[in-house]
Amino acid sequence: MATIKIDGLKKRYANGFEAIHGIDLDVADGELVVIVGPSGCGKSTLLRMVAGLETITEGTLSIDGTVVNDHEPGQRDIAMVFQNYALYPHMSVFNNMAYGLRNRGVGREEIKRKVADVAAILELGDLLDRKPAQLSGGQRQRVAMGRAIVRDPKVFLFDEPLSNLDAKLRVQMRIEIKRLQRRLGTTSLYVTHDQVEAMTLADRLVVMNAGRPEQIGTPMDIYTNPASMFVAGFIGSPAMNFLALERMEGGRLRLPGSEAMLAEDDGSNGAPVLGIRPEHMRTVGTAADADIVLSVDAIEPLGADTLVYGRALGQEGEIVLRLGGSHSIGEGDNLPVAFDRNHLHFFDRANGRRADVRT
Amino acid sequence: MQKRVTFSHRYLPYLLVAPQIIITVIFFIWPAGQAVVQSVLVEDAFGLSTEFVWFENYQELFADPSYLQTFYRTIVFSFSTAALAMGFSLLLAVMADRIIKGESVYKTMLIWPYAVAPALAGVLWFMMFNPTIGIISFLLGKVGVSWNHYLNGDQAFLLVVIAAAWKQISYNFVFFLAGLQAVPRSLIEAAAIDGAGPFRRFWSIVFPLLSPTTFFLLVVNLVYAFFDTFAVIHATTQGGPAKATEILVYKVFNDGFIGLDLGGSAAQSVVLMVIVIVLTIVQFKYVERKVAY
Ligand SMILES: Nc1ncnc2c1ncn2[C@@H]1O[C@H](COP(=O)(O)OP(=O)(O)OP(=O)(O)O)[C@@H](O)[C@H]1O
Ligand SMILES: [Mg+2]
Repeated sequence: MATIKIDGLKKRYANGFEAIHGIDLDVADGELVVIVGPSGCGKSTLLRMVAGLETITEGTLSIDGTVVNDHEPGQRDIAMVFQNYALYPHMSVFNNMAYGLRNRGVGREEIKRKVADVAAILELGDLLDRKPAQLSGGQRQRVAMGRAIVRDPKVFLFDEPLSNLDAKLRVQMRIEIKRLQRRLGTTSLYVTHDQVEAMTLADRLVVMNAGRPEQIGTPMDIYTNPASMFVAGFIGSPAMNFLALERMEGGRLRLPGSEAMLAEDDGSNGAPVLGIRPEHMRTVGTAADADIVLSVDAIEPLGADTLVYGRALGQEGEIVLRLGGSHSIGEGDNLPVAFDRNHLHFFDRANGRRADVRT
Repeated sequence: MQKRVTFSHRYLPYLLVAPQIIITVIFFIWPAGQAVVQSVLVEDAFGLSTEFVWFENYQELFADPSYLQTFYRTIVFSFSTAALAMGFSLLLAVMADRIIKGESVYKTMLIWPYAVAPALAGVLWFMMFNPTIGIISFLLGKVGVSWNHYLNGDQAFLLVVIAAAWKQISYNFVFFLAGLQAVPRSLIEAAAIDGAGPFRRFWSIVFPLLSPTTFFLLVVNLVYAFFDTFAVIHATTQGGPAKATEILVYKVFNDGFIGLDLGGSAAQSVVLMVIVIVLTIVQFKYVERKVAY
């Protein structure tokens, strides 16, 4: 039972580098908030400030209504799962899990019971006498989870806990983490740069960019209403396509070379950009019905879906299209493509923010 | 796959290792052989005749209570020196590990004592503790401790331990610091989150992870104290007062060169040689297997 309140948090490192420029975030009791962003955006820094491993330069951090800025990590009643697991190499699995309990003066019998309980949940029962060096990557990951769970802390902090696992195990553990978190109901902050992990785990998502939160919201909210080109490009795979628009008289916006008007604005946006996700485009019979004609460069059949890569007249970047099922499209084909009008996004090229337009 | 270097000339490799081999033979193997030969001979007082006596010299040695006394004293001396040198250097290394600014200055300064010759190191401490002019004995006098290592055997013993340990601190420091810096930060952080304070973190995480370094240094320090402290003692107490600081290497010298009992002295040095060999084997065995965890 715990809430986290992050209020105007900033971090400047000793060398003067400003890693976090200010972030506000309220995490509700039992909520799993995922912090996602590209490498170097300050995700770990933020998490480590919550853990107490980095000092807070400015702002306040409260857990359960108590300001904990000056509390030692051990006093904050949090548990953290590290990317490299940080298991104590000279201790058995049992002792790794028992260490935090011993430090808190829990009795011998109770430690045994608690470790046994958690070992049963994580299927570690047979491994309790092993040293970390004698475990597989996946087992180490479980021990790291076990060490966090056994203390029954107020908050779980995860710093890319799955990035050292292979793809299959990563999916398994992702599901398991979610299941455990639901079952225990422990408030959690989870850092990752993998947007699939972020989307599937999060109750709420914080998309960070260069030390600033770009958008905070539920995964679906962020997917359907990205607040900026950065967020739109980061969440979703393959990434959203961005197409340059022309402004006609009266502020009407259209694709270069197309007759169809897509939207209208009052001219206050700089260079308008259309964002459209690969899954929100479809092929049509004739060029007359199409928004763009794609000259196909490459095709990736994925089984369930087919990704088509190509270029369109008047557009600089490559355009990706996701089609359901398999298709007999060849390289060099000219493919007439229409957009789903319910899923158009408009941005202002100058500042990257979502643009205010009428459709 | 082993890499093999091919030389153009057949004898070149031999020529290249020759200086090393010659030095080893002349200064190590040959004297060692001489000692072994000497240790089974007895020479008369005038050096006119020698007699082959099998292991009589060794039997006499181990029947001599003063030799056994010296043996015991040497063990106490070696372990005290090793403990002091390692304890103190570990403390310094832990502090240096925390320093970020001025680290290189601090490290460089701590390396210096290693460059000081053992005899000088001994004399340095001898002067500082000198009962009449020494600064430390003066300060000790102020707090009511009367220091005179010319008369007091225990104090003399303590003095040579301090002087011998001081020499070795730099060496230990470098290894401990490297060992400390090899402990992953995330382990310390995990322990901090697990509620362990700085002391508990050190004793339950850092120290056990340092055990290979500690073991290696223990052997090195024991070997040093056993065999390399001759100069320290010779330059200061010369084994006195009343043999209070006479350790095995010093006794070899004393009995051989002062007492002129060449056979006995040679037997002593063979015993020392055996100890070195055993310690070295132990070291190799354990270092290979990586101690503890
Ligand atoms: N101790 C430090 N001193 C100075 N700058 C630092 C320090 N630690 C991190 N930084 C800088 O702060 C920024 C954010 O680092 P952080 O580790 O939080 O990134 P991240 O989002 O976790 O990236 P990744 O996904 O690669 O782990 C980076 O530009 C990094 O270089
Ligand atoms: Mg990181």
